[in-house]
Amino acid sequence: MGTSVRPNGMSSAAAALRYWEHRQEVTSNNLANVSTGGFKGQKVFARMIEGALPVADGITDLSQGSLQVTNNSRDLALEGRGFFVVKTPNGERYSRGGSVQVNDSGNLTDSSGNQLLGESGPIRVASHSNADIASIQIGRDGTVTIDKAEVGRLRIETIPEKATLLAEGSGLFIPPTARTRIEPDARIVRQGALEQSNVTPISQMVDMISIQRAYTAVQKAVTTLDTVRAIATTELARPAN
Amino acid sequence: MDPALHTAATGMQAQQTRTDVIANNLANVNTTGFKRSRAHFEDLLYQTLQGPATLGSRDTEQLPAIQIGLGTRLTSVQRIDSQGSLEQTSRPLDLAIEGEGYFEVQMPNGNRAYTRDGSLQVSDQGVLVTSQGYAIQPPIKVPKEATSVTVSSTGVVTANGLLGATSAQELGRIELARFANPSGLESMGQNLFSETTASGDPIKGMPTENGNGRIAQGYLESSNVEIVTEMVDMITAQRAYEINSKAVKNSEDMAQTANSLMR
Repeated sequence: MGTSVRPNGMSSAAAALRYWEHRQEVTSNNLANVSTGGFKGQKVFARMIEGALPVADGITDLSQGSLQVTNNSRDLALEGRGFFVVKTPNGERYSRGGSVQVNDSGNLTDSSGNQLLGESGPIRVASHSNADIASIQIGRDGTVTIDKAEVGRLRIETIPEKATLLAEGSGLFIPPTARTRIEPDARIVRQGALEQSNVTPISQMVDMISIQRAYTAVQKAVTTLDTVRAIATTELARPAN
Repeated sequence: MDPALHTAATGMQAQQTRTDVIANNLANVNTTGFKRSRAHFEDLLYQTLQGPATLGSRDTEQLPAIQIGLGTRLTSVQRIDSQGSLEQTSRPLDLAIEGEGYFEVQMPNGNRAYTRDGSLQVSDQGVLVTSQGYAIQPPIKVPKEATSVTVSSTGVVTANGLLGATSAQELGRIELARFANPSGLESMGQNLFSETTASGDPIKGMPTENGNGRIAQGYLESSNVEIVTEMVDMITAQRAYEINSKAVKNSEDMAQTANSLMR
């Protein structure tokens, strides 16, 4: 792609077709995840390159998903633009919450077994009895309390307004290098609730209709261009009789 | 257009699984001690379709990276262990647990299983068993001549009319087991659960102690399924299924349009 492209009608149309296909792929993924907890939808928009080539550009829509109250003490959700930090084999990742578990070595993990990180490392609950762990309490600022004893405070971070957040799958995000801690006062951690997907099916549906119409329109443009060229090569080239 | 088709198909499968779980909840709306489940999903891997690259003559015009997700998959079906409402039956051997505990029973193969279904009977051997005939642990012998068996909220079983006794005599005490993570218990059918590494070892204790809950005699715990909640979930699942099928249709239409580019 590094080579200089001299746009003409045909290459613009081809780029437009590719752009609308990408949009359809992203819309399909958003719709497939309409009931995935903590899912953040993606938005795609076009950017003009060389004044004629539309290419796809995307962002992750970080708006709040609605909270479903479960009253299950192991369900965690966040309000606002913050993220929990988990430790995965590929490095630290961001998560929007979910069901918390205790692993074999007595650390708090997310539902996939990744350690949930506190402000001073993993949160260890191994010294507490099973009965006490069952009554775990997590406060509004992420403070984890078991049997009235504080065992740690969850790390909750956020990213700058304009930074991009790449999704990794399994509800995890790859954090950018610029990240800031959210002050305890500004956090809203909800125990006993789960965040639902922030995808609204209606808007995706409307999107899909426009994608289809636009795709057909570009196809018509290609056909017209082709007809014009056919005339140019067959009719104009014919000597006058 | 292949990715979009497959992605939408995973969405349809997810809603199908969700409906399966809802159907099982609804089927068990009258099952004593039944706990409803819910399906959890997670997003699949993301594919970076176009890497960041420079396009065009000016260096400033960067082709942005774009990520395409590949759909969704089921991660777990989680049981919701909330208390079911207590239904009065006035049968002396119907016991309900108000709290987090489970009755422990012995299976024919010697393994232990756990249940919230306390519709007990006296077996031909004279011990207290569940309605499927599994003896509750520790075994409690109820002699043939025993009349008016009572079970206190702390699990003490007493009876009148025993040979050589003028007042009520203690026959034994029902113990309860609870788990650090009850959602991790494995459903075995027949209202029984077995312990797993996820649930943790059973923590045994007496009723009313350690959050085990108290025993209510003459009551049975109803299923914690709420029909209205399940119906609403079912409507959502059905609509989501439909809308995902529309995504399949749209992708297919676009493929057809692309196909008609060449005459």
